[in-house]
Amino acid sequence: MNIKIDTEGAFGSAIVVLEPGEKFVSEAGAMYRASPNVDIEVVSRKKEGQGFFGGIAAGLRAMMAGETYHLSSYQVGGGTGEVGLAPTHQGEVRKVEVGSETWICSGGSYLGSSGGIDLDTQYQGLVKGMFSKEGLVFVKASGQGELLVNGFGRISEVTIGNGITIDNGHLIAFTEGLEYEISKAGGGWISSMMSGEGLVMKFRGQGKILVQSHDPSRLGGVLGPLLPPRKG
Amino acid sequence: MKFDIKGNPSYGEVDVELGPAEVILIEPGAMSRMSSNMSSSFQRQGGFFSAMFRKMFGGENFFLGKYEHPDGGTLTFAPSIPGAVEHYNLSNNHLNIMAGSFLACTPGVNIKAKFGGLKALFSGEGAFLLEASGNGDLFFNSFGGIIEKEINGEFIVDTGHVVAFEPTLNYKISGMGNWKSTMLSGEGLVMTFNGTGKIYLQTRTVDGIASWLTPRLI
Repeated sequence: MNIKIDTEGAFGSAIVVLEPGEKFVSEAGAMYRASPNVDIEVVSRKKEGQGFFGGIAAGLRAMMAGETYHLSSYQVGGGTGEVGLAPTHQGEVRKVEVGSETWICSGGSYLGSSGGIDLDTQYQGLVKGMFSKEGLVFVKASGQGELLVNGFGRISEVTIGNGITIDNGHLIAFTEGLEYEISKAGGGWISSMMSGEGLVMKFRGQGKILVQSHDPSRLGGVLGPLLPPRKG
Repeated sequence: MKFDIKGNPSYGEVDVELGPAEVILIEPGAMSRMSSNMSSSFQRQGGFFSAMFRKMFGGENFFLGKYEHPDGGTLTFAPSIPGAVEHYNLSNNHLNIMAGSFLACTPGVNIKAKFGGLKALFSGEGAFLLEASGNGDLFFNSFGGIIEKEINGEFIVDTGHVVAFEPTLNYKISGMGNWKSTMLSGEGLVMTFNGTGKIYLQTRTVDGIASWLTPRLI
């Protein structure tokens, strides 16, 4: 399998080259082109041996994660085949190695992963889920392989030695082992709200974080008043 | 203070390295990440009435986020809209910025809203603009890329595309050619600049994208 970032920058996309016997999974709807020998199968996000109710619970969790309940799975019938993947919104697409590190993606930033990666949903907890803009449930990618994530704007990788503070709305993914708490930006509550940052995510521990340059809800705040009112 | 602007023209953001006790003032909400030791507070820019005036007419906030630490630290900020971020160094001179384009500054910079005169009503930028003065670093942003242009003489810009200009430049509002070409060229009114100085233009406008998007929304 060869996963390459096909277009970089503001309109990122990826190409996955599959050999017979290999499998790639993506968020449903992310494929924009495929070779004729590629078989696409829709799989629901459930773990093996989970049974019917386990599947439903997994689906609910996936929906809360801002991800689609269904994933698309790609395999080639014979010979080599290609699948092109692009996120819905503009922004960078980044390839991440999963193996020695397990990555946890915030809701909406998972794009796809190779077959050797196990996907699981991770409930953030009610308080964190309610107050962070990153979705109630995160997607955990473990196992061995490559993961594709997408962000709104530029993606930067930050290696954390002694903590970092990230504004709510900028998180893409982080390595397992990092701990975070939802907190005020600094100083008192009034100061935190007045400085406009409101809530931030304070990370502790050692690991890596992927962050996006722009917060989609701030763009919404600028564009919203210029658009016609929505019918109830 | 060291800074590095990255991601222009699509997704400009600014990495800042603050030395001990150095301060940066940022538009509320624009801080995207920072070292965990940084402390944030808020500061009113200028006097009460000046801040109120800027909020009411300058499309800006009453308070600015103030970031600092006794040992220094790093911080990254980005505007709310995709586009370029530009830096301007002020040393006892002025720069006029269009309302809403201010992003950040160092404490020696003053920002105040000022009435642009009746002609500003037709500039497509609002009747008020921001005047930056003092000493220090100023950051402003655009929707789309920023084109920096040194003008000597006359220069024509479509209304809505000016981000900032030096006050050594004057402008007047006029149509392109006769009334017919003004109406039919799709350009409507234009700003004709005159003088010697720098102008910063944006390649897209937020109003433009909003009106393009509106009929396509379901």
